[in-house]
Amino acid sequence: MDTMCNKPRKQILAIISFLFLSFIFSANNVSAADGAKIFKQNCAVCHSLGTNKLTGPGLAGIATRAPGDEWLKKWIKNNDALRKSGDAYAIKVYNDNNQVPMSAFEFLSDEELTALVEYIKAPPVEKKEEKKDNGGGATAPTEQGMNPLALLIGIIAFLIIIIAVLRGVRFSLKNLQNEKQGLPAEEQVGPWTELKTWMAANKTKTGLVILFILGGLASSGWYALKGIGVYEGYHPTQPIAFNHKLHAGDNAIDCQYCHSTVEKSKTASIPSVNVCMNCHKGISEGPTTGKTEIAKIYEAAGWDPDKGAYTKPEKPIKWVKVHNLPDFVFFSHQQHVKVGKQDCANCHGDLKTMTTAQQVKPLTMAWCIDCHNKTEVPTMKDNPYYESLHKKLAEKYKGEPITVAKMGGIECAKCHY
Amino acid sequence: MNKKVTRIISLMAVFGCVTIGFTSCSKHDENSPGVEFMPDMYRSPSLEANLFDVVKNEDGSYDTIISNRKPVAGTIARGYMPYAYANTAEGYEAAGANLRNPFPKNEANLKQGEVLYGKFCVHCHGAGGEGDGLVGGKLPGAPPSYKTVLKTLPEGKIFHSITYGKGLMGSHASQMTQEERWKVALYVQKLQGNDGAAAATVASDSTKTDSTAVAAAVKVEEPKK
Repeated sequence: MDTMCNKPRKQILAIISFLFLSFIFSANNVSAADGAKIFKQNCAVCHSLGTNKLTGPGLAGIATRAPGDEWLKKWIKNNDALRKSGDAYAIKVYNDNNQVPMSAFEFLSDEELTALVEYIKAPPVEKKEEKKDNGGGATAPTEQGMNPLALLIGIIAFLIIIIAVLRGVRFSLKNLQNEKQGLPAEEQVGPWTELKTWMAANKTKTGLVILFILGGLASSGWYALKGIGVYEGYHPTQPIAFNHKLHAGDNAIDCQYCHSTVEKSKTASIPSVNVCMNCHKGISEGPTTGKTEIAKIYEAAGWDPDKGAYTKPEKPIKWVKVHNLPDFVFFSHQQHVKVGKQDCANCHGDLKTMTTAQQVKPLTMAWCIDCHNKTEVPTMKDNPYYESLHKKLAEKYKGEPITVAKMGGIECAKCHY
Repeated sequence: MNKKVTRIISLMAVFGCVTIGFTSCSKHDENSPGVEFMPDMYRSPSLEANLFDVVKNEDGSYDTIISNRKPVAGTIARGYMPYAYANTAEGYEAAGANLRNPFPKNEANLKQGEVLYGKFCVHCHGAGGEGDGLVGGKLPGAPPSYKTVLKTLPEGKIFHSITYGKGLMGSHASQMTQEERWKVALYVQKLQGNDGAAAATVASDSTKTDSTAVAAAVKVEEPKK
């Protein structure tokens, strides 16, 4: 009984002492934690804790570099006033950083400033897990699946061997039987001669088999011909392994952030590299390919991540075009997205789930016309021209839905001229 | 028994032949778009948008075609309006003090601003403008909140920041026209919880720009219609 009673008491004691200790520790950590928060909210937009320069210089080694805590506090609070007071180091820092002034932070209290200075002088060391760098980055070990064609050839070769062996067995069994019955031994005929005799004896079966083979060849030929010029399933390797799933799916960036001309132009633009840099100036490491792919953006933009400036020559990124319409057809994104209110996924599939952009729709004329026949056009309230047109069409096709086709959407010259 | 075995085996062989016939025509190379009939009709000498291609000339040499190029120096886009303030600290202050939104604060403009904000800003600045967007959290520092740090940011500075970028944020001038940027600024002011007048007075109080600085920053006079 005694032990039964003692145990909970001990536990309570342990919990209380733990809480007390953790309170003491957390009380000691208040300033550092606040400093981290203040830094993240106000400073991290322009300063890194490392040596690399963002908009402002990196803050590693600031404790030994700057004249002292009081100077740092004054600088953070209002660097403009400090410079105007004639502080030599302040003016030097200003000139060293291309005379881009830092914002003033008058609203920070002395306590907060102390916490912040403590934090930037000795930020907690982040434990970084050593990642294995494969160099190429994209050279992740891929499972070497069996090539289906090689597999088939193997199976067929195996079957042929079995046929040959079985024929031999059958021949020797037959001769054994003949010997028993006292008949003369048969001479083994070649497989081809045997097949010919079998075919002569079973004409219907032979005909059926030939028909079956011909049918198979004809249908495969038909599908092969239908696939000419159709890029469905085309997903080329791009010069930079851009991941649509990560950007548009996981990070929920709108398609139009990058393809910003889709509502204004015939084409949805491929973003120029400055659009990539809008985010990747700050994000130099991704979750799937690490730094390798993002480094390619930096190379194209001429960005030096260590200096934090565009110092190198620019190079164009040679993106491979996936969705390709031939020259003899007119297509306008503006008309479909802005006026027709079509979702991107209707023609491009759900790119939010694709790691490599792939053409999922055939983009053939039959596919276009099919959609034009099905898609109904709603009345356009703020457009008098379409409103009157809609009214006339409604009178002409009583009760039937007004589709794109009925508005002239399948006339030849609409797309071919 | 023997007959049955041979029949089964021959049937399997026929199936094998037919399947080979099917598979040999399917596309294996992901970098090849497939068979093309008359490629001239697909890959014409005239430039199509968003294209990078290598074409073979008649004499056997190769040419590289890149259709997305930088415009010739001095090119002016249709509808282009010069922006009067330089990308400097003085320009920023001057824009804050002098620039006014040409669009009235009405429901239609605010709605367009909200749509544009959803396309171009929300992933970093967050739906409520508190810097809590999905991408914002992945940056070295999340963008400051419109509700606290940037609550008194005047409309001119908002416009200037979208045009040239600020801190980690890059320029969004290539993605949005001036009109669109002004509409976004309208919506940002709504997120700040300020109406235009209040922000303007705060701006003139907080910015201590003397007239010479403004004159230096204003390089080009804003064209008048």
